[in-house]
Amino acid sequence: MTEVPKIVYDRLRAAPPEQALPGQALPDEVAPRRAHPDADLLTAFAEQALTAAEREGVLAHLALCDDCREVVSLALPAGDLVPTPIAIETEAYRATTSRTPARRQPIFAWPSLRWAALAAAVVVAASVLMVRSGRWNHATLLSKAVPQVAATPTPNLSPSASSVNQQVSQSVTVAPTDEAKLMYELPSPSPKKLKAEKAQSLPLQGRSVMALAQSQNASGQTATVSAAGSAPAPLPNSSAMDAMAARAPGVGAPGIGRSSEAVEVTSEAVTVEAAPSSDGTLVAQNDALPIEKAKLAPQETGANALQTAESQKTALQKNPAAVGAASAAGRTRNVTSLATLTPAKTLAPAVTWVITAGVLQRSLDGGQSWQTTSHSDHPLLCYASYNADVWTGGQAGTLLHSVDGGITWEQVRPSIKAQALSSDITHIDLHGPTEIFVSTSNNEVWGSADAGKTWAKK
Amino acid sequence: MPKPAQSGEGADLAAPLYARSGAAAYGLSAEQFAAILDEILRKHRSQTSAQSSAQSSAQSSAQTSAQSASQSSAEHDAAFCAGLRLEELALARACAAGNERAWQDFIGRYRQKLHSMAMHITRDAAHAAELADSLFADLYGVNVRDGVRNSKLMFYTGRGSLEGWLRTVMAQEFINRYRKQKRTVSLDEKTEEGVQFAAPVPEPAYASDQRLEAATDEALAELSSEDRFTLASYYLDGRTLAEIARTLGLHESSVSRRLDRLATGLRKRILAGLRMRGMSHAQAAEALETDVRDLRLSLRSRLTQDSAATTFPDSRKVPAQDTSDGSD
Repeated sequence: MTEVPKIVYDRLRAAPPEQALPGQALPDEVAPRRAHPDADLLTAFAEQALTAAEREGVLAHLALCDDCREVVSLALPAGDLVPTPIAIETEAYRATTSRTPARRQPIFAWPSLRWAALAAAVVVAASVLMVRSGRWNHATLLSKAVPQVAATPTPNLSPSASSVNQQVSQSVTVAPTDEAKLMYELPSPSPKKLKAEKAQSLPLQGRSVMALAQSQNASGQTATVSAAGSAPAPLPNSSAMDAMAARAPGVGAPGIGRSSEAVEVTSEAVTVEAAPSSDGTLVAQNDALPIEKAKLAPQETGANALQTAESQKTALQKNPAAVGAASAAGRTRNVTSLATLTPAKTLAPAVTWVITAGVLQRSLDGGQSWQTTSHSDHPLLCYASYNADVWTGGQAGTLLHSVDGGITWEQVRPSIKAQALSSDITHIDLHGPTEIFVSTSNNEVWGSADAGKTWAKK
Repeated sequence: MPKPAQSGEGADLAAPLYARSGAAAYGLSAEQFAAILDEILRKHRSQTSAQSSAQSSAQSSAQTSAQSASQSSAEHDAAFCAGLRLEELALARACAAGNERAWQDFIGRYRQKLHSMAMHITRDAAHAAELADSLFADLYGVNVRDGVRNSKLMFYTGRGSLEGWLRTVMAQEFINRYRKQKRTVSLDEKTEEGVQFAAPVPEPAYASDQRLEAATDEALAELSSEDRFTLASYYLDGRTLAEIARTLGLHESSVSRRLDRLATGLRKRILAGLRMRGMSHAQAAEALETDVRDLRLSLRSRLTQDSAATTFPDSRKVPAQDTSDGSD
C-alpha cells in the first residue's frame, strides 16, 4: 500500500472540529467535538440505507470523528467475518463439481480431468448394465485372494443384488476411481492414517486388503489397524504414519498392480476402510457417516475407462460391531458386490477431510494435496460429513455447516430457548442429511433433526 | 423543523404502512403509529436541512438544499417511510411503550444477540455481560421519568435494522465507558501501565514550516468526505481494507485502489502546493520524504510501546487523545 506523507497523518488527525450542529445530539454524547450522528443514522449508514445527502453528512462527520468511526467499526456485524464463501477451490474440484459458480474459472480447466470425468461417466454407465452384482462372501475373497477379486464380473452373483444394493446404498455411495480402482473409505478424522494403514497392509498381505482403519476421537486418537484375514496390524506410530502417508499414493499403486496381475484387463483393488472403534460411541460416530469417497484421477485414460467398465464395484458391507470382532479375529466378512449407481454429476468427488491444528482441510485427490476450506475464529475440533453435507465444530460452540462439500460455509449457532451452545464441540454425529448430534466438552449432547435449525438437549 | 401542517399527511400515508408493520399485534393504534412516522419524518427533515447548512462542499449542499426545498413532496415522504424497517420499528416502539407481547418478541429475538454482540465488541466475557446487561436495562427503560418508562428504544427510527441499531448503540456505550474509564485512570496506574513512558506524540519537526501544513490542508480539503473517511480509517485507525469496504459498501479491491490513488494524488497535490508556495521541486520532495521516514520510525516506536501498555484494544488512540486534550 502506498505510504502517505507524515504530514497527511498529522493534518488528518488535527482536522479542525467543526461547529456543533443542533438537533443531532445523542443523549450520552461522547465529546462535543461535533454533534455525533445518532445511532440510527450510523446504522443506516453502515447498512447503506441513507440518502446520498445524508450519507455525505455522516461521512463528513466520520472523516473527522474517530469515536464515531470506531463505533461504526465496532458495530459491524460480526457474523459476516466467519462464514464467508471461500473461493479457494482447486481446479480438480471445480472440474468435478457441477455446481461451479459462474465466477469461477472455466470448468474442466485441467485437461486430463476431462478424461477423468468421461471415464467416470463410462464407469457409471457400464456399471448400470453390467454390475447388477450379487453378493460375495468375504471368505471367498480372502481365501481366493486377489485373482478372484479381480476376475470379477460374475453374473451369478446377482440374486441378492437388489437387497444388497439396498443395504449398501444406505450406508455407502460409490464412485469410480482411476484405474478402475474402487476405494471405499469411511470418512475418518485422519485420512493420513488411513493411508498409512493401507500402505502398510497392502505389502503385508499381498492381496486385496481390508484395512480396518480405526477411527479416533478428535483429540486423543487411538488408532488400531486390523488387516483383514490376519492378525491386527501393528499400530503405526506417528512418524511411520507420516512417512506412509507421504508414500501412500505410490504404495497404493503397487497394490492395485498386484491385483491386476491376475486379471490383466481388470485392474481392480478393493480397499475397504471401515472405522469401527473399540468403544461403542465411536463406532456410532463414524459409521454414521457412511460416505464412500472415490477418486477421479487425472491420468485416467479411455483405455482405463474401458477396463473400468469391466470391473466390478465391490463394497464391503459390514456391521460395524461385527467388523470390530471380525477384524480382530481375522474372520470372515461379507463382501457384497455393489452396483450402486450414481449419476456422474452426483458422484461425490474424492473428498477426504482432516483437521490439522484447528483447521479443517480437504483433499480432493486422496490426500496428496490439501486445501483449507473453512475459516473460523476458533480452532476446529471435529467434523462429520454426509455426502456433500459437511459439518465441523470447534471451540466456543463454533459450528459450521456446508451443504456443498465445503465450498461455502454457514455458521450455525445452536441454541435452546435462547441458551446458546458455547462450550467446545468435541464431536459431531450425523445420521442422514438432517439429523445431527453434537457432543460438547461439558458432556452435553445436542441434537437437531432439521439440519441445525432447532435443537434439543439429549 | 416541525411543520404542523404535515401531520395529517403523515397519517395519510401511514395507513398501508401500519398494516404492513404488524404494529396492531403489539397494541399500537394506527394513530400512534402515524404519530411515530410523523416524528421520524420531521426528524429526518431537520437532519437533512441541518446537514445541508453544514455542508461546505458546493455539490453536496446543492443536493441537500434541493432536497429540503422539495421536502414538502409527499412522494419523497412516502418513499422514505416505505423504506423504513416498519416491522422492527413497530416492535421497538411497542417495547418502549411497554407492550408485553412486544417485549417477549424482542427478548426472544435479541436477548441472545445482545450478548454475542457485546462479546464481539468487548472481547471479554466480564465486560460483555456488563455491557449487555446495562444496555438491556436502558432498552427496558429502568429509570422512570414522569411515570413513563424512559426506554432507549424510543430513539430507534427504523432507518437501519434494529439489530444494527442495537449494535451501534452498544458500540457507542462501549466507547463512552472506555473514554470514561480512561479519564479516571489514576496517575499510579498510568505509571504502572508505562503510559508515561510512551513515546511522546511526535512533535512535528516541520511545524515551523507553515507551507507544508497549508499545502497539506489544501490537498486534504479537496478530498471528498468519503475519501477522507477512507484515509482516516486506514491510516489513522488502522482499519483493514475489508472493514472499510464493508462500511462503505464497496469491494475490498476498490478500497485498495482508492487508497493507492489517494496516496499518490495527495503526494502530487502537496508537492504542487509546496512549489506554489515557493519551494523548489527538490525541496518539496525532500520535505515529504523526510516526513515519511520520521513517521515510520515514530510509528514503530509507538507500536512497540503500545503493545506493552495495552489495556484496551485500541490504546493506540491514547497519544492521539492526549494531543487533542493538550491542544484544547
